Amino acid sequence: MTLEIGPSGPPAASAPAAEAAIPVSAEAPAWRHRHLLDVDVLDRSEIELVMSTTDAMREVLARPIAKVPALRGRNVTILFYEASTRTRVSFEVAAKNLSADVVNIAAATSSVTKGESLVDTIRTVEALGAQMLVIRHAVSGAPYLAAAHFGGSVLNGGDGWHAHPTQALLDLYTMREHLPGGSVAGRKVVILGDILHSRVARSNIWSLTAAGADLWLCGPATLLRGFERWAAASPRIPGRGRFQVTSDLDAALAGADVVMALRIQRERMAGGLLPSLREYAARFGLTRERLAAAKPEVVVMHPGPMNEGVEIAPDVATDPRSVITNQVTNGVAVRMALLYLLAGVHGAGR
Amino acid sequence: MNGSVAPARRVGEVVAELEISRAWLVDPAAGREGPGEIVVSNGVLEAVTWLEGAEAEGVGPDGIVVAPGFIDLHAHLREPGNEDAETIASGLAAAAHGGFTTVCLMPNTEPALDEPGVLARVRAAATASGSPVEALAHGAVTVGRAGEQLAALGELADAGIVGFSDDGACVASPTILRSALLYAGMLGRPVIDHAELAELTRGAEANEGYVATVLGLRGWPAAAEVAAVERDLAVLADVLRDEPRARLHLTHLSTAGALAAVRRAKAAGLPVTCDVTPHHVALSDEWLAGARRWAWEALDADGVARDPWVDGALAAGPYDTSLRVNPPLRGPEDAAACLAALAEGTADALATDHAPHTQVDKEVEFGLAANGISGLETALGVLLAAVEAGRLTLARAIAALTTGPAAVLGSWPGVVASGGEAGGGRAGGGRAGGIRALARPRGLVEGAPADLVVFDRSDRWLVGPGSLASKGRNTPLLGRELPGRILLTVAGGRIAWEDGGTGSDG
Repeated sequence: MTLEIGPSGPPAASAPAAEAAIPVSAEAPAWRHRHLLDVDVLDRSEIELVMSTTDAMREVLARPIAKVPALRGRNVTILFYEASTRTRVSFEVAAKNLSADVVNIAAATSSVTKGESLVDTIRTVEALGAQMLVIRHAVSGAPYLAAAHFGGSVLNGGDGWHAHPTQALLDLYTMREHLPGGSVAGRKVVILGDILHSRVARSNIWSLTAAGADLWLCGPATLLRGFERWAAASPRIPGRGRFQVTSDLDAALAGADVVMALRIQRERMAGGLLPSLREYAARFGLTRERLAAAKPEVVVMHPGPMNEGVEIAPDVATDPRSVITNQVTNGVAVRMALLYLLAGVHGAGR
Repeated sequence: MNGSVAPARRVGEVVAELEISRAWLVDPAAGREGPGEIVVSNGVLEAVTWLEGAEAEGVGPDGIVVAPGFIDLHAHLREPGNEDAETIASGLAAAAHGGFTTVCLMPNTEPALDEPGVLARVRAAATASGSPVEALAHGAVTVGRAGEQLAALGELADAGIVGFSDDGACVASPTILRSALLYAGMLGRPVIDHAELAELTRGAEANEGYVATVLGLRGWPAAAEVAAVERDLAVLADVLRDEPRARLHLTHLSTAGALAAVRRAKAAGLPVTCDVTPHHVALSDEWLAGARRWAWEALDADGVARDPWVDGALAAGPYDTSLRVNPPLRGPEDAAACLAALAEGTADALATDHAPHTQVDKEVEFGLAANGISGLETALGVLLAAVEAGRLTLARAIAALTTGPAAVLGSWPGVVASGGEAGGGRAGGGRAGGIRALARPRGLVEGAPADLVVFDRSDRWLVGPGSLASKGRNTPLLGRELPGRILLTVAGGRIAWEDGGTGSDG
């Protein structure tokens, strides 16, 4: 499917016509979601739509001037309640590449410190002209509250331990880009680390089981608590598949096609969940030796930021098989794709 | 229509004349239910007539039902200190709308009810409300409910409080608990404990289980309740040797493990009682994911919890803050254990734990929302839903609201459930030890002041901002139709609630 999203360079005076003239392939499914709060609501065809739209955005990013007028005149407000540089900038770059007007709010410097409620902040932001809202929050479920009180579209940039849909989609895109055959179906994908506190892990469970991957979650027992129950239920959830949960690193890595390491935070020791980072690195750290159990062409990933020497050895992070920097580039493309789809520019929209 | 009810009257007015003919009477105190008629005259229940043979024909339990007025052992009416959420006046109106003619108020007000001055404020507010619903009060176990120093337990007992509780918080220190059980036992009063090991629940948002795992919510382990219960029972067993009047009541139990511990303790003869809430009986944690089916509908034929994602049972959005409560909604199997405990008597009573909150405190991120469900007005409807589903008999449901809580109150030596004087003997310090907690008997008794609830099982009512008398709209049942419409509540011979009258629903 090809997607014409306009020429690159600054928008011409007759830009509105360019938006209206976007041809849509007859078989392309319409995007029907007003918000994207988690990947659990996307079926396989919708995930395919995101993947193919991301292909088109990757092509835009490869141009000398990586900018198209698709979201010209739209206000995209980025509201991050949690400290973040990489994701916040990634969204800002994505929105600007689509020619949107971007407002970037970091909660630490806003009225949130004066005790302004989330609902009041959403209403204020909307009154200031926001049409699309990208939100990151430390409390699970916050984007659902935002969506209930916002007139436009909400895109979840990560909420608590719960979900990080754009990360899961860029992870899937990156895996397909580097796996032979361009598909994760039947491929052994291992997510390694602090699964319990990870919104990246949870969203990846939804997307990878929908895409038919042979997913393994691995980590110390204290950080896997509760997932065995989900793994047992998953094969019976419509549109999903099975996944494995284990603390046996060698069994997890054996023959793996993809290994994704997650960051271990210092707070986990203070919370009594781990003896020390040293012990974690010794027992679960992704080193060259351990990686040898995987397939020779294994794809190594990490959502970033990394604690090199803890969950991932420095020489693994920079190994030729590591696609960590590709993930960052693909992140911009995926976010462009989602902003584009949510803005209702493609197909019937909302 | 099976019965006839007199036209609208004012709250507080003595019932001059009321006759209900051909209704289904339920009187758990007499161990009896069936077709009958009642006559109230000048506030007194003059005649209770049970119909037999041909006269009884056509009168079934699916129309108008008359039962004794309900007792709630556990409600938060927020005054003094949090009148935005509820006042004693609005809370008693809510109680009456729910069929309750006696309510026990929890002491976690601001200031806490830890000395008689605050009790006087509460009583004054109850009197000023003009409501005939009986407002009883529990006092705090410790000063300010801070868990460090015993409150003025003797003074509070003399002033007439019914029990002692730091509810909202557990009595965390085992030594304080031990002293409290001994001292309160001397006064003929119970310690009512909110069983929760706080260290296991730090930052917790939802029941530790499958739903919390998928939704990324911080888990509240069952062990936090079970371990606290086991600890409380062990301390009680010790204390009894020195003070045989020591009594323990465990409130809002939510786990199968805790109820099993109580069952074992009762079998061993320990003087412990407990209650469960309507929401722990009827709802489960899958509602957090967006399911909206009753807990008994979320079990398969083998009593195993169903999976809302597998079943496609998600009907609403996730993270609804009206579901955030302490203890949290548990899985369907725990809910079934609560219902079974109520049916077989391990759970002595249904208590609402009515916990109204303002919109400001609930319209926030889930993990920041206040804990609590507004439940006085929906308790009967929830139990009737269980009765309709064949999970509970009507008689058991009414008993859980009447004779059950009356028996709990009656099991406390310094508190009298009905008639007579309180158990005397050494009450410590030479003061009168007992109080007459309930002025009226909890049954359909001829010659006693009328204390009853009339409801129509053939009707339903819509739970909504227009139909709730409580200031607290924080109920997950908002927008839902519940079975059974309460037509009339009479407390001590006076109108407490009348459908279509002053303070009625929309």
